[in-house]
Amino acid sequence: MIDLNASVVNVDQPPRSFGEKIYLGPIISGLTVTLRHFVRNFFGRKDVATIQYPEEKHEYSERLRGRHILITRDEGELRCVACFMCETACPADCIHIEAEEDPSAEVEWEKRPVVFEIDLLRCIFCGLCVDACPKEAIVMSRTHELAFARREEAIVGIDQLRQTGAMEDQDLGYRPYF
Amino acid sequence: MTDSRHKTEKPQPPFPAELKALGSQILGSEKTGDGHHEMLVDRSRILEVLRTVKEDPAIHCDLLVDICGVDWPDRDDRFEVVYHLAALETGLRLRIRVPLKEEDPTMPSAFGLWKGANWFEREAWDLFGIHFEGHPNLKRLLTHEAFDGHPLRKDYEPGRRCLLTEDEIMTPEWARENPTDNDQFETHILNLGPSHPATHGVLRTVVQLEGEVIRRAECEIGYLHRCFEKMVESQGWNQVIPYTDRLNYCSSMINSVGYALAVEKLLDVEAPPRAQILRLILSEFSRIMDHAVCLGANLVDLGAVTGSRYFFQVREEIYGLLESCSGARLTVSYARIGGLSHDVPENFSSQVRVLLDTIPGFIDDVEKLVTRNTIFRDRTEGVGVISGAEALAWGWTGPCLRASGIPYDVRKASPYLGYENIEFDVPVATTGDCYARYLVRMEEMRQSLHIIRQAIDSIPGGPVMIDDPHIAPPEKSKAYNEMESMIRHFKLLNDGIQVPAGNGYGFTEGANGELGYYLVSNGGGKPYRIKVRPPCFAIYQAYPHLLEGQMVSDAIAILGSLNIIAGELDR
Amino acid sequence: MPQPDGSSIVLTTRVQAMLGWVRKNSLWPLPFGTGCCAVEFNSSVSSHYDLARFGAEVVRFSPRQSDMMIVAGTITDKMGPVVKRVYDQMAEPKYVIAMGACACSGGFYRAYHVMQGIDELIPVDVYVAGCPPTPEALIHGILELQEMIQRGKTHHDRLKTQDRKATTALPG
Repeated sequence: MIDLNASVVNVDQPPRSFGEKIYLGPIISGLTVTLRHFVRNFFGRKDVATIQYPEEKHEYSERLRGRHILITRDEGELRCVACFMCETACPADCIHIEAEEDPSAEVEWEKRPVVFEIDLLRCIFCGLCVDACPKEAIVMSRTHELAFARREEAIVGIDQLRQTGAMEDQDLGYRPYF
Repeated sequence: MTDSRHKTEKPQPPFPAELKALGSQILGSEKTGDGHHEMLVDRSRILEVLRTVKEDPAIHCDLLVDICGVDWPDRDDRFEVVYHLAALETGLRLRIRVPLKEEDPTMPSAFGLWKGANWFEREAWDLFGIHFEGHPNLKRLLTHEAFDGHPLRKDYEPGRRCLLTEDEIMTPEWARENPTDNDQFETHILNLGPSHPATHGVLRTVVQLEGEVIRRAECEIGYLHRCFEKMVESQGWNQVIPYTDRLNYCSSMINSVGYALAVEKLLDVEAPPRAQILRLILSEFSRIMDHAVCLGANLVDLGAVTGSRYFFQVREEIYGLLESCSGARLTVSYARIGGLSHDVPENFSSQVRVLLDTIPGFIDDVEKLVTRNTIFRDRTEGVGVISGAEALAWGWTGPCLRASGIPYDVRKASPYLGYENIEFDVPVATTGDCYARYLVRMEEMRQSLHIIRQAIDSIPGGPVMIDDPHIAPPEKSKAYNEMESMIRHFKLLNDGIQVPAGNGYGFTEGANGELGYYLVSNGGGKPYRIKVRPPCFAIYQAYPHLLEGQMVSDAIAILGSLNIIAGELDR
Repeated sequence: MPQPDGSSIVLTTRVQAMLGWVRKNSLWPLPFGTGCCAVEFNSSVSSHYDLARFGAEVVRFSPRQSDMMIVAGTITDKMGPVVKRVYDQMAEPKYVIAMGACACSGGFYRAYHVMQGIDELIPVDVYVAGCPPTPEALIHGILELQEMIQRGKTHHDRLKTQDRKATTALPG
């Protein structure tokens, strides 16, 4: 048996007082609120909420899930071994991989991707591909401003996804943590 | 098996003797792991059993939680209709299953007992083709008029679409002919939505006006029916999380946590304490966000734009916290079955404390702007009044029910995530009008802050993911370097989490009321059936009846105060 | 510079540039918000991001008064005819932004009741990726659209060029 009335707080408001009935009281207190914000923002610029977007950017955390990056090894080859785990884990089926045997590999039967395409317009940026990767070959960057004029432009392949430059220069976002 | 798998024995009310006294009517009954008493009833006796369950003073199930269908093509009785019932006073929970033959999927309607059965039965007709005899208006609800077939049947291809053209859009039958009675005012048919500034999403209401007074109304939903329940049947248990996030997108964390808890119940495991308390904190923040968008939108509709700007700033602050934890502002995908996807950042508690200091300022500002404002009170007091008993009959839960005087809150009635250790009050109002719903939500935001203030001081250390190789993927560093972990990683991803065959209903307090997930597993890595019990669904079906006799401008005030989220309503 | 069809090219390009400049800085959005993206759209018109700084302040729900339709959220088959009708009611020049995965391509709802991208119905100028896109991404998309309007690369401009070619190609 549960006593639903054990900890209940009644929020009913009392009937309106005379000052409230003639509109004036609450209007004045309301105007005080807006005027306080106005004066503080106008003279002090203390708590202006607006950011001047293209020039000034909101600081996102290091976990932001933006566009993907395919990480490369030191010698410039992709880390990806085409194990299809990200493709399996993707709820949107937006990853398309075609694999081939890696000719430069020391071990026989090592694979690498020939085609690695992500349809950025299908992608829901959930990060499950990053969690699924056993090689930390796919991570996410903080590039999240993605606009396209045509749908075909949004299907990006290895060339666009490949890491460019050193790891420190990447604007890295969501990566596997545990 | 690790020690994370332990039995959670919570005291449950005993199986009422009166139910046993129904004797031969019950084909079988058992008590399940999710705290429900389950009965298998033949369809010829179902109405009798339901009536006893409702009217017997010892059982007295006053809340019809959910009705849904399940399709079993391989069984003799192909369809199954599942009722979930609850008795608020005793905390008793019942599940009644009724098997139906494929050739004759008909059964009597429960609309006469609970008005709330209305849309749930229409949905079962729409998605499964189960015919409810005696239902007043049994037609398609979620799919469109030109739709062919019943999509949640297992033999329906998930991707098979039926196209709708503009000529096929239907209006209700009563709205098509306009009665002209010379003694009366002229009546008008007015169509609100689905693209209308006040519907905040995609709701359509057709009303018949007499002057400015609404005489009759009917709602049309399904404009955002994204086939959640069909899509998840082809995904693994963990891949469902992004889908649940998009049910009630104003508070996505609550949805995914509710889902994870329901699956954990089915697996009979519990997430580590650190994960539980973090889930609790983020859920409460999500509740604040949801109420902020609801109240903000309601105020905009009534002409008070400033309040919504302040409330959106509250959301903006909380987005910062959610984004630093999960990596996304709105659709977080942060919860996982067995815990959280990863630990919170180091500065988490300092971020939370900053929020705890700033958010009350915004709430106070809005409070000063509108709560005692006469114009606002004139527009909301006495508008859209519903009594507690009536609200319960429609299946209402959450803030809207509490505004009508019934203090039912899942967090108190059957606590989860450690709500039992936290002291908080349930705000209740008695008038049941739009103003009461506004007041209840305002107070709930303060109570949520109060909850977070207590929880933030008691975050234990430890992992945020369960230590169970069948549920949690191995640590990344191990998956990279150890063969065994790597195989485990591959196996878990390929096959998914194996949930033992069975069914279970998990319910939590969503921002709008009881959010339930009825899960059916056939022992595989994918869910066999997931039925969401969205709180909005039950609330919105009473909307046409709230409108009758009201002015047309009040329709907007009422709609805003109910907080209908289309993603959750239509799924 | 007189042209065979009688128009003057210098003047038209000047006027075109002027018109483009005027149009791009006074886009009146029609938020066709259905799902999760609508919440992020609200964020971008709210105080923190303040879409008004780009001349897109006046959010109009009436298609007659707006020229940039932002489709934010999933469009289902049931909603399809409504989108089409609202789009048809807008006056030229009109531009469409598809915001978020669902409006662009259907997203992860490859399902029986979901339209696989609104370009099944109406032409789209800018696709904004994300689920939902951040307000920055939406504003970036709007800036992109402004650029396209200035350069005359929108669907509206392409359509007009086609029309002109068609009329000049007609004999007599």
